Amino acid sequence: MTEPRVHIIDDDEAMRDSLKWLLESRGLEVELYPSAEAFLRAFSSDFCGCLVLDVRMPGMTGLDLYEQLRARASTLPVIFITGHGDVPMAVSALKQGAADFIEKPFNDQDMLRLIEACMKQDRAAASKRAENAIAARRLESLTQREREVLDLIVVGKLNKQIADELGISIKTVEVHRSRVMEKMGANSVAELVQLVLKSRS
Amino acid sequence: MMPNVAVAVFILAMIALVWLLQKREFDQQMAALRRDVQWAEQTLRLHMQSDREFLEEIARDAADGGVSNPSFQARAAQYLAINPHLSSITWIDAAKAVRNAVMATSGNHAANGSFAHWEQTQGFMAVRGSNLPIYTKTYVSERFGPTFEFLVPIHRGANFMGAMVAAYPLSGMLDHLVPAWFSEKYHLSFTDAGGKLLAANSTAQPLNQGLNYSMNFDPPGNGMQMRIAGYRDDADLVKTLPVALITGLSFLVIWSLWSLRNNLARRIRAEDALRAESNFRKAMEESMPTGMRAIDMQGRITYVNAAFCKMVGHAQADLIGVTAPFPYWPPECFAEHEQTLTHTLAGDAPRGGIEARFLRKNGERFDVRVYEAPLVDASGRQAGWMASIHDITEQRRARAELEASHQRFMTVLDGLDAAIYVAGLEADEILFANKAFKNIYGHDAVGRNCWRVTSACRPDPAQFIAAARKLAPHQTPLELHDTELQNRLNGRWYQVRERAIQWVDGRVVRMETATDITDRRNMEELNSQQQERLQQTSRLITMGEMASSLAHELNQPLSAIANYNMGCVNRLQANDYRPEELLAAMQKASVQAERAGKIIRRVRDFIRKSEPNRTAVRVAEVIEEAIGFAELDARKAGARIDVSVPPDLPAAYADKIMIEQVLLNLVKNGIEAMHDTPRSGRALSISARANGKDFIEVNVADRGSGVPAGQSERLFAPFYTTKPEGMGMGLNICRSIIEFHHGRLWMVANPGGGSVFSFTLPLSPR
Repeated sequence: MTEPRVHIIDDDEAMRDSLKWLLESRGLEVELYPSAEAFLRAFSSDFCGCLVLDVRMPGMTGLDLYEQLRARASTLPVIFITGHGDVPMAVSALKQGAADFIEKPFNDQDMLRLIEACMKQDRAAASKRAENAIAARRLESLTQREREVLDLIVVGKLNKQIADELGISIKTVEVHRSRVMEKMGANSVAELVQLVLKSRS
Repeated sequence: MMPNVAVAVFILAMIALVWLLQKREFDQQMAALRRDVQWAEQTLRLHMQSDREFLEEIARDAADGGVSNPSFQARAAQYLAINPHLSSITWIDAAKAVRNAVMATSGNHAANGSFAHWEQTQGFMAVRGSNLPIYTKTYVSERFGPTFEFLVPIHRGANFMGAMVAAYPLSGMLDHLVPAWFSEKYHLSFTDAGGKLLAANSTAQPLNQGLNYSMNFDPPGNGMQMRIAGYRDDADLVKTLPVALITGLSFLVIWSLWSLRNNLARRIRAEDALRAESNFRKAMEESMPTGMRAIDMQGRITYVNAAFCKMVGHAQADLIGVTAPFPYWPPECFAEHEQTLTHTLAGDAPRGGIEARFLRKNGERFDVRVYEAPLVDASGRQAGWMASIHDITEQRRARAELEASHQRFMTVLDGLDAAIYVAGLEADEILFANKAFKNIYGHDAVGRNCWRVTSACRPDPAQFIAAARKLAPHQTPLELHDTELQNRLNGRWYQVRERAIQWVDGRVVRMETATDITDRRNMEELNSQQQERLQQTSRLITMGEMASSLAHELNQPLSAIANYNMGCVNRLQANDYRPEELLAAMQKASVQAERAGKIIRRVRDFIRKSEPNRTAVRVAEVIEEAIGFAELDARKAGARIDVSVPPDLPAAYADKIMIEQVLLNLVKNGIEAMHDTPRSGRALSISARANGKDFIEVNVADRGSGVPAGQSERLFAPFYTTKPEGMGMGLNICRSIIEFHHGRLWMVANPGGGSVFSFTLPLSPR
């Protein structure tokens, strides 16, 4: 996982440079790209932080890039910078689930707030993704039988019911159950259920 | 051919006849000659035979010794006396000496006992050798000329005892043995073996060359020849007379034949010419479309030609010999025709001919013009009247048609609003002018000088591409000049075209067509003014576009400046900075400030050029002008434009051109929107009314497909378009313009289908 950065994509050099100057004054890591194409070339799925994207650019527009990223299942939050008359475009982008948009000329405080919110959101999302990944890995370590037992525990079946359903003795179910709780690192059934849900997201 | 052959045969026959006659005559002469020659030869031979007998007798006597010199003398002299053709008789002994000799005349060449000539010696040797009589060859004796001798041997047994010799001078033989009648008739000559003439009886008379005969003279032999030729006698003339007559008569006959032939040829030629002339006349008569009819002094038809027969449909035989009323008189015109005939027979027929109506056999009537002329026979006496009849039905029809076509032509030309005249090139006189021309230049224009008449509006002939006077008819029609001129008198503009054409009489003339183009020119002028205004408007449109991009463009430097600035502020507040870093950022910020200033200056420069000019504008006028521009599109699309403006509508306060542009845009959009509407429903209505106290509202309603409910606001967004070639700025700018005038532009659905675009404009401040 790379460092969280603000990826700025704008065709206007002064805009890029000045944004970098501003954001760095708040201690943010900034990466600049002169076009959507340049960003796509550099893009990797473990990018984190947020994207600041100019809507109107020659070649690939900000909206085009946004769609491309969605197609690649990127969850990077995106802030659109719009100019006069681009509002309808930005609205349609927002409807598609874009993080936010800010109209030029913008208040630097607003911009910083937005970026920080996005960074935070991305961080949260990243940790959640990490937890989910752990849960998934733990789930992977279960044997076939343990998995079957787990599935039945999660839907709220009692040991007896599980034993009947799987055609095994209650004792065996209990052994499996304690192994599952151990492997999954859960202290209660409620925790177990949460882990299973995470692993499935 | 045959006459020529006959003449040739005749000539040949005559030649043959003459030749035969001549031949027969010659043959007869030849036969007589031969007879006479034989007779002469016979005579000579007889004499020489008797000479031989005499010599042999005396030689026998001498051998027997019965001859003495005197007896020899006597017997020889006696014999010589009766045979004068011999010159001498000589007795020669065996020793070749002359024993005795007797001469016809005194003198004996051999008296001395020697042989003077070699031929004599040769003869003697031959006789002594053979003991047979022998003739010597001819030798020339000094006295007698060519002579030969006859030697008879004297022998007893084989004992040669000499010879008796008789000398035959040829001249003597000719003189004495040939009778006088023979000599008169023939030329007798002797030649030796070499063909040399030895002797001849006479050469005084001319010889008839063809008539001669040669024979061997033997004895004496030795190759001697006797030649006889006939004299040409005077009797020949008598004999050639018939030949001459025949020849002369033949020539006469041939000459007359020749003359006859020439005469005949002349006659044939004359006949041919006559036949040709007759055929020509007949053909002429047959081909002539004019009918000919002759009547005698009693009014009986004596002659009709084929054309007349064809005209009236009767056969020639049905007409000849007929008297009035003629079968080709229509019953209803009998009286007229009778009167005409009476006049004609009286010699009162009008010279210019008379028009009459004739009846065809099939009942058809037709009009003719009849000319009568006296018919005079070979003796100079008038034999009747010859009438030539012309069918004038076609002529009348053609004349009527021509008149009608002229009428049409004049109607068309007078109906034209272009002024047309035609002028001759020599005198420049106007030959023709149409009504439009006369209306401008006066109704007395024809015949006057064209330059003087058209002085108010005439092109300069120096600018013509060709001098019309030099053009030949085959070079026409030729466009000479095409220009636009203003008539100085009425101030209207004309397109003046000059053409060289061929006039009806064949000469080259000049035709001028002046088309009134004043309206077109005015329209063009109007158009160019509109164009100018349109250009101004398009600047405004561009400004609208700029206004849209201006915001974006200006945002860039402004945002950058703010960013640089806040970046500095943040660093200063946190007390975490390097001065040179801040300096660089500040410098960058001022560069961006400059950039923003440049953008604003550019826009200001642009706007300064296209300042709107607001005045009091009558909306009805604006609508009218906008429709003027859209009319072509409307006509193309088959759309109707209805306008409804109350006459008391107050004036609006606006830039006329800008509003016109908005309206034109809306009208065009409306027309295009009705593309899929059935033709009959394509109606665009423009109306205007007061909207409250302060505004005028203008509505443009179409019957098109309308706009989907949610889309109406998007229409006004920039870059929104439903047209493949559209910019998507039209309505956006329109709204900008209207809003610039403090008005509003909006769209609602037309209750009857389609859309209504409306805008408001403030009333002009009073």
